[in-house]
Amino acid sequence: MSKGLHRFALLVACATFFLIIAGALVTSHDAGLATNDWPLSNGQVFPKMVGNLFWEHGHRMVATTVGLLTIGLVIFLFAKEKRRWVRRLGLLALFGVIAQGLLGGLTVKLSLPLAVSTAHATLAQLFFCTTVSLAVFTSRSWMTDRPTLEERPGLPLRYICSAAVATIFLQLIIGATLRHSATWDKPLPTDLLLTHIGGAVAVTLILGSAALSVLRRHRGLPFLTWPAIVVLILLVVQLFLGLAAYLTRAASPNDPQPLNPMVGVTVAHVACGALVFATTIVLTLRVFKVLRPSEQSLEFSAATQRG
Amino acid sequence: MSMKQTKVWLTLMIALSLLGLASACSKTPEGGDSEPAATTTGKAFTAKGDEGTVTGTIAYNGTPPAPKKIDASADPVCGQRNPNLTTEDNAVKDGKLANAFVYIKDGATADGTKVTEYTFTAPSDTVNLDQSGCQYKPHVMGAMINQKLNITNSDPTQHNIHFTPKNNPDWNQSQPNGAPALTHSFARSEVLVPVKCNQHPWMKAYVGVLKHPFFAVSAEDGTFTIKGVPPGTYTVAAWKEGGATGTEKTMSVTVPASGSVKADFAFGEAATASSKPGLEMMPALVVPAPGHH
Repeated sequence: MSKGLHRFALLVACATFFLIIAGALVTSHDAGLATNDWPLSNGQVFPKMVGNLFWEHGHRMVATTVGLLTIGLVIFLFAKEKRRWVRRLGLLALFGVIAQGLLGGLTVKLSLPLAVSTAHATLAQLFFCTTVSLAVFTSRSWMTDRPTLEERPGLPLRYICSAAVATIFLQLIIGATLRHSATWDKPLPTDLLLTHIGGAVAVTLILGSAALSVLRRHRGLPFLTWPAIVVLILLVVQLFLGLAAYLTRAASPNDPQPLNPMVGVTVAHVACGALVFATTIVLTLRVFKVLRPSEQSLEFSAATQRG
Repeated sequence: MSMKQTKVWLTLMIALSLLGLASACSKTPEGGDSEPAATTTGKAFTAKGDEGTVTGTIAYNGTPPAPKKIDASADPVCGQRNPNLTTEDNAVKDGKLANAFVYIKDGATADGTKVTEYTFTAPSDTVNLDQSGCQYKPHVMGAMINQKLNITNSDPTQHNIHFTPKNNPDWNQSQPNGAPALTHSFARSEVLVPVKCNQHPWMKAYVGVLKHPFFAVSAEDGTFTIKGVPPGTYTVAAWKEGGATGTEKTMSVTVPASGSVKADFAFGEAATASSKPGLEMMPALVVPAPGHH
């Protein structure tokens, strides 16, 4: 185990989180087309960072930094990491950040079509979860040998947590589509808004069930209870941020420009959504690591496959 | 975590990402509505010398919302050039409204030919749109299909000019200070094409693009004049900025030969006239884009 490698992976994950915030700031300021040029801005590597070009070019600079850090991480992995599948995950991250950069350029060149902008925002979350996973896999807590426990009676936590990850991911896609469907001066499409609210209910139910089940079934296992507690707190914060984002965003078409309360709250909502996703992934990975299927669930699984 | 479990996890991740991308790609982009195809044939309009005029005044009843102060601190040049930047969506003075776009929306000439059935030649003179003091000048303007717009930047800072039409292609160009003028034109009619600057998000303008030249923008005193209108009975529409799509009011007028007709409109509180949201909801006169059938 390399402590340096884990720290570097953490740095990449944190930088990626900052990049998601920078990207959300671009969307909230409607700065994505502040220049029609890409990868340069107005033909310059360092243009005058005034107006909304500050947000757009700033996002590009942070993205470039994350790209370079990811290359560094892959080199580090191939130098220090013995597990082949972790090295491959590093390569997947590199592929993801390259694809993400190209999608960013494509959306600028095509004047922000909804499909491409949404794909760009979605891939950002996937890349973030990959970097978080790399930080988890290289951590001491992951490498330490731990006894595996049998799943307690009831719906297996593996299933509930996996369902939570899938639901959050779908909710992130809906949220990204909603955000890119209308700029700050236009009302949000009602159908997408209602879908996003429905998604929030689904995430609350499934993720809440996952976290509460962990706390109830494995109270003495901090390896699982800590991410469960953190994700519950983040979920509550996220729900309040969602409500605040809706209220400020609903008022913004009457504003003369994107105002700080709307920008701040909606960006915080995006950032907290990314943290909810990342923490749920940490919880799910840990559940898969320390919980083995019970005899009962294996029999149930075999019966399902037969039937 | 075993190798097998990791593979399952990675497969799940990839499957989810593909699902997400497919879902995102199935959405219709904003502004995807397109004008129905139209015929390229039409009777060429020829002035007969008996054309009349539509004149009028755009009133604003009640107290208009106060202009909102704009925070231009993100670009100090804007604050220096225009220290009192405010919104321009209610340009009311002495109860009269400026920047209303007035145009002949429908109707027929005296011989029964619909105005939509005529073809018109775009004038060779250009229409100017300047970026000055981090505002567009003029704020509302009209142009004919294929008429050249001359876009200039008088500010010592960089702008980008971004047309966001529904029926025409999106067009976005950066224009740093000192850059030469840009030109653009629209192939399809559209009332009205929003213009914005993504650098300075308060900067907005509107261009009414029409097949014919029968349009005007109300002046500071609310007056407007549409000249050269052939005798006939028409629906005249007045559009005012505000809200997501603006507001439109219409009235029917009969233009006498070599005469003039009044078409006064009123917006604001207790304003009477048929009104409805404007922009994309308004059926503009249809002409085909080159290459369309």
